[in-house]
Amino acid sequence: MSDHQDFIKHLALKLGRPTPASVEPINVQVPHYQLNSPEERIDTLLANWESLGGKGIKAQTPEEAVQALKSWFGDPEPKWLNSTSIITWGELPDFAQNTFNQLHWTTQSYPDSSSERSARINVAAQAQLGVTGADYGIVQSGTLIQLSNARRGRAVSLVPPRHLAFLAGSKIKDELAEIMEELLTAGAPPAAIEMISGPSRTSDIEMDLSIGVHGPIEVYLVVMTEL
Amino acid sequence: MRISIFITCLGNMLYPDLGVTMAKIFSQLGHTVDYPDNQACCGQISFNSGYTEDTRAIARNLIDAFEDSEVVVAPSGSCIGMIHHNYPSLFENDPVYLKKATDLIHKSYEFSQFLVNVLKQPDLGARYKAKVTYHPSCHATRLMGIRDEPLTLLEHIQGIEVVPLPEAQLCCGFGGTFAIKMPVISEAMVQEKAQHVIDSGADILTGLDMGCLMNISGYLEKHGHPVPAMHIIQLLGKGM
Amino acid sequence: MSENKPYDMQEALDKALKDDFLRMATRRATDKLRHQKLDAANQLGDWEEWREAGEKIRNQVILNLDYYLKQLIENVEKNGGHVHLAKTPQDAVNAVQEIFQKHNAKTLIKSKSMISEEIHLNPVLEKDGVEVIETDLGEYIVQIAHEPPSHIIVPAMHKNRDQIAKLFEPIAGHSLTSDTPTLTKFARGKMRKKFLNGEIGISGCNFAVADTGTIAMVTNEGNGRMVSTLPKVQITLMGMERIVPSFKELGVMLNLLARSATGQRLSAYTTLYTPPRREGDVDGPEEWHLVILDHNRSEILGDPDFRASLRCIRCGSCFNVCPVYRQIGGHAYGSVYAGPIGIVITPLLEQDYEKWGHLPYFSSICGACAEACPVRIPLHDLIVKHRDRKVLTGQTSAIEHQAFRAYRYYFTHPKVLRHFVHWGARMQFVFMRRGRIVMGPPPLANWLKSRYLTPLPRQTFDDLWPMLERRLKKIELQRGEQK
Repeated sequence: MSDHQDFIKHLALKLGRPTPASVEPINVQVPHYQLNSPEERIDTLLANWESLGGKGIKAQTPEEAVQALKSWFGDPEPKWLNSTSIITWGELPDFAQNTFNQLHWTTQSYPDSSSERSARINVAAQAQLGVTGADYGIVQSGTLIQLSNARRGRAVSLVPPRHLAFLAGSKIKDELAEIMEELLTAGAPPAAIEMISGPSRTSDIEMDLSIGVHGPIEVYLVVMTEL
Repeated sequence: MRISIFITCLGNMLYPDLGVTMAKIFSQLGHTVDYPDNQACCGQISFNSGYTEDTRAIARNLIDAFEDSEVVVAPSGSCIGMIHHNYPSLFENDPVYLKKATDLIHKSYEFSQFLVNVLKQPDLGARYKAKVTYHPSCHATRLMGIRDEPLTLLEHIQGIEVVPLPEAQLCCGFGGTFAIKMPVISEAMVQEKAQHVIDSGADILTGLDMGCLMNISGYLEKHGHPVPAMHIIQLLGKGM
Repeated sequence: MSENKPYDMQEALDKALKDDFLRMATRRATDKLRHQKLDAANQLGDWEEWREAGEKIRNQVILNLDYYLKQLIENVEKNGGHVHLAKTPQDAVNAVQEIFQKHNAKTLIKSKSMISEEIHLNPVLEKDGVEVIETDLGEYIVQIAHEPPSHIIVPAMHKNRDQIAKLFEPIAGHSLTSDTPTLTKFARGKMRKKFLNGEIGISGCNFAVADTGTIAMVTNEGNGRMVSTLPKVQITLMGMERIVPSFKELGVMLNLLARSATGQRLSAYTTLYTPPRREGDVDGPEEWHLVILDHNRSEILGDPDFRASLRCIRCGSCFNVCPVYRQIGGHAYGSVYAGPIGIVITPLLEQDYEKWGHLPYFSSICGACAEACPVRIPLHDLIVKHRDRKVLTGQTSAIEHQAFRAYRYYFTHPKVLRHFVHWGARMQFVFMRRGRIVMGPPPLANWLKSRYLTPLPRQTFDDLWPMLERRLKKIELQRGEQK
């Protein structure tokens, strides 16, 4: 195994000059994608989310979200509902918490489910639905952004076959470059930033698109328009 | 204008009528035509095989041949492409020939490019009834950016119907020495191209490079589906 | 190509060209991906501007690779990650083996990593008694089939659904119908337990962000996320040139990569992870290793002729437009990386023209690859450069040298050539039937195997010119008189 310094020195040698102490920032111009109003932003994001195979609504109140969840999962409750079937982030937006309170569907906070890692993984493995918030949305690519922290849990939006996310309308950006700008000014990044654009998919079998591989098979989005 | 014909090695040996027709067309349009006869070849065959020293010798010969020319026109996108795309790097260590090569680049053209963009004479009053499909040779399109010009010329030949060639962007498999060095791959490529020509329903295959055209039509003929190939210049020649 | 048989070019080519399913599958895969990319590029608009930006970013990074790599290493270590600098594939394999030994781990869940292919990792770990599970569906299929991937984005495109069902059935323990939903459901179910119990995860790296120590991973299935979220220990394998300076440049490159590889605006999962887990995080690896592989990339770095090839972002666009790849598929190249980028980088990574010298000839220099490349690598020029090198280092046959010497002579002595051509025109009847040349000496014989050739006309253009010139002068005079 090579020593770090030797490794870098070798590259400097190949480049024919000593390693610089600093480099000029790279200046590139790329075209931008921009929408004109928050309404357009929300509507276009939902349209793109749907064309990717997701389901979504915009909701002014938790009551509206309640209706949507019933139509998506089951009225008055999903057939698969039991005490362990819904896991959530430890910190859901109040709106989301409110929605589930009204539904009376039992949920479990994934980070609080156990202090033991493999037990938590089992909890996630048994769940039918993972519920999360989202930090940002991107219109152009139909994307949700989730930053990890101790009160959340990356497995929630990954392991169960269904993923439901609540996103504030005001956090929707037009294009990826805006997200990158936010991340640049946010200081040290968290352990994971997940950018999710629809359900899991593959075309590995004869180029035939298949939705629902290892990640969630169904994805749902509630855009909280007043937030 | 005084237009020098760059007949190309293939044109000289196999398709001299291309040069004859080009000369007649330029003369008809009121220009003087000449033919510097110490020209030979652009050198792409040795260049593409990695023989740069040999290529330089051949390129110098070509550059010298056209040194006094006002403009140079060839019936081939690949030969002009060779000059434009590769002569600068070929002579990067030879300032004298780099300058001469640059001069040649600035005054050399492929035929359809020249007629449409420089002489601005796409309509030669040609008349020829045929259903043709156009094969866009790789070097003409990708190295020289020639896309619309040949179609413009075809549009102006009365009686020509152009039918689309499926997957036209695919290389025909000629690639100069590629057909000789990697024959099984080349054959597979020309086999697909030939099928697309048949599928187009055309009676005649046309294009800007005789290398491609003789590759495709030679294959079609051997396999019992002859579709004659005619260079756009040959179509014009027939129609005037 | 099975894993242990030595590569025979003619055999590999013949096998591929005789395989009608392979040729159809390759066309299908490349057509689909190529059209998806074109649609996505058109939707994005100003694709050329994006390519320019991508080229500029990657160029600047390559020219300052030592600076950015140093920064990346510092940040990864500052974050608590472990960096292993592997000069050679063996160094990389050793680094991974040591991690497995340290943890006495027997299960590996792996998401897509071309570096793992390049270092031939799997067989070594398997010999060590580790259960290696390729979790990417395409990679899983080729793993069971004991074959290498045939395309860097869709590794099992050469397999039909019946073949896939047959591969899965012994593992399933029952018969499977070959429809896509059934096969996918099988893979999902099969992998679940593996994900949940895998001790160590290995994943690849699309880009490493130097100023934060972040790895960007572009996936669609969710297995990449599983592998980087659930196991306690995670190893990321990275080619040392796959760096961007910051999130800003990452954004540009992600746009280019997703659209170029599959025509998506962003893949289903674009994960930016900066391991290890933070204090209090409930998932993510506790221990993270970044293995950075050189494998002669530093040689390419020091080679201005070929340096541009380090810009590559492994999107596969060149595969999808290559007329050669279209006919022969990935295995026929005999190399880890196939397609246009493969024929450029393989002789360089391996520093071996003897074993890999056949690759630069797998091209008609049509230029489609350079046209398609999102970071504007002049692949066609680089392929010719390899041929130059082979000639300059005396690796081409004496006969070929002679042939080009003769070519040079004749095409710098046009008057001599003219005599030769006249002689040929007189003698060619020997090779003709029904007005066409149908046979001839090698190398012409290669051409004639599948094509006819029009015979040489009696007069060259040189011969015709004097009379033509006189005729034109006469016309000019007449025109002058008419004025």
